[in-house]
Amino acid sequence: MIIISVVITLALCAVALFYMAVRGRRHSENKFRNVDLSAFRTLMDRDDELFLKKSLPRSKFSHLKRQRIRVMMRYVARIASNASAVMQLSEAARTSPAPEVAQAAAQVTELATQLRLQCVVALAKLSVEYAIPAMQLTPAMLAPKYQSLRDNLRILGDLQTQNAIPLPSAI
Amino acid sequence: MDLQTITHDIVIAGIGVQALLAIAILLKKCWRIYPAFSAYILFGLFESAILYPLHRENWNTAYFYTYWICEAICIFLGLYVVREIFIQMFEPYPALRRLARVVFRIAVAALVVSACFLVNMQSVDVHGLAKGISLANEAARLIELGSIVFLFLSASVFGLHWRQGIFGIAIGLGMLVAFELANNTLIWHVSKTTIDALNLAKGIAFLTSLFIWLGYLIVPERLTSRADVPRQDQLEQWNQAVAELISK
Repeated sequence: MIIISVVITLALCAVALFYMAVRGRRHSENKFRNVDLSAFRTLMDRDDELFLKKSLPRSKFSHLKRQRIRVMMRYVARIASNASAVMQLSEAARTSPAPEVAQAAAQVTELATQLRLQCVVALAKLSVEYAIPAMQLTPAMLAPKYQSLRDNLRILGDLQTQNAIPLPSAI
Repeated sequence: MDLQTITHDIVIAGIGVQALLAIAILLKKCWRIYPAFSAYILFGLFESAILYPLHRENWNTAYFYTYWICEAICIFLGLYVVREIFIQMFEPYPALRRLARVVFRIAVAALVVSACFLVNMQSVDVHGLAKGISLANEAARLIELGSIVFLFLSASVFGLHWRQGIFGIAIGLGMLVAFELANNTLIWHVSKTTIDALNLAKGIAFLTSLFIWLGYLIVPERLTSRADVPRQDQLEQWNQAVAELISK
């Protein structure tokens, strides 16, 4: 009977997941979201964290660090969401009849995908730090290639302007 | 009107919609983009065309064997459709493809182990060929549903954009398999009236899936509009934020 209950629950959860996917797709907007830079810098500051660790009692530090991590996770999620939006935009440009646009779009897709993957890793690391606040993992080992994502997107934007198709000119 | 009559009417309507879907597939030449899905739908129509007369004429033994042989082929084709969705979904992202392939294989292996466990746990109560086949079907459906759920979860984690056709195929197949699994699991443990209700639910799920597939295949995909493109200042701000993150 337990097995039957488990299987039925799994089937119902799957249906709920499909429903949420349909709803999510209907309400999804391919929008770029802003990131508050000054707050982001403060959150990323490891020296600040070390200072807090030394100055505060352990329980208070853990509480504070968890709060910081929650906010950091939101920022990383935003960056991940923006990477996903770039992936979608460049995917559309990959079908361009101009070969140079298609090639640039393929490069941008590749870089945005890598960035998205690194964001997933960063979120996993932050989750571990959330569970064990005393731990200090590198918040994000985002690919150094990120800089070239910007350059490639700029190239793609320029190419698209020449071909009179609108797309972002830079990140 | 009793449940059996309603179920019968739904099955008839299902065959009609299946025929419409087959026509849509042929007219839109879908087999070029979705060969596995096209084969799955066309085989489904062929299955209905064979099974319905057998059921109507009450040729029970012939119906039993034909039904289970067709179900086995359907499950195989269903798994092939899942593979097709996976390939199409990750095709534009070479950076993810290798990782996704490894994770997908691990997930399928875990699902096979779970299905074996399920069969082992329930095999104590199994007597007779029909129950044995049903149990094997349940295990196969579990693998199929798990694979589809994995696809949705990985698309969410990796932030992948579902193309309209692929999304429709995945949703329709997922819905159908979830109801098939629930139906197969419960059918041996409930009363006759509940079996009729389950068959009705299965018929409705089948019809819904057909409409989902038909809708997603017919309605043209929305193109990315100019409004989707971010503003320059937003891009610059995001760039600075990520640069900060990298430098840490």
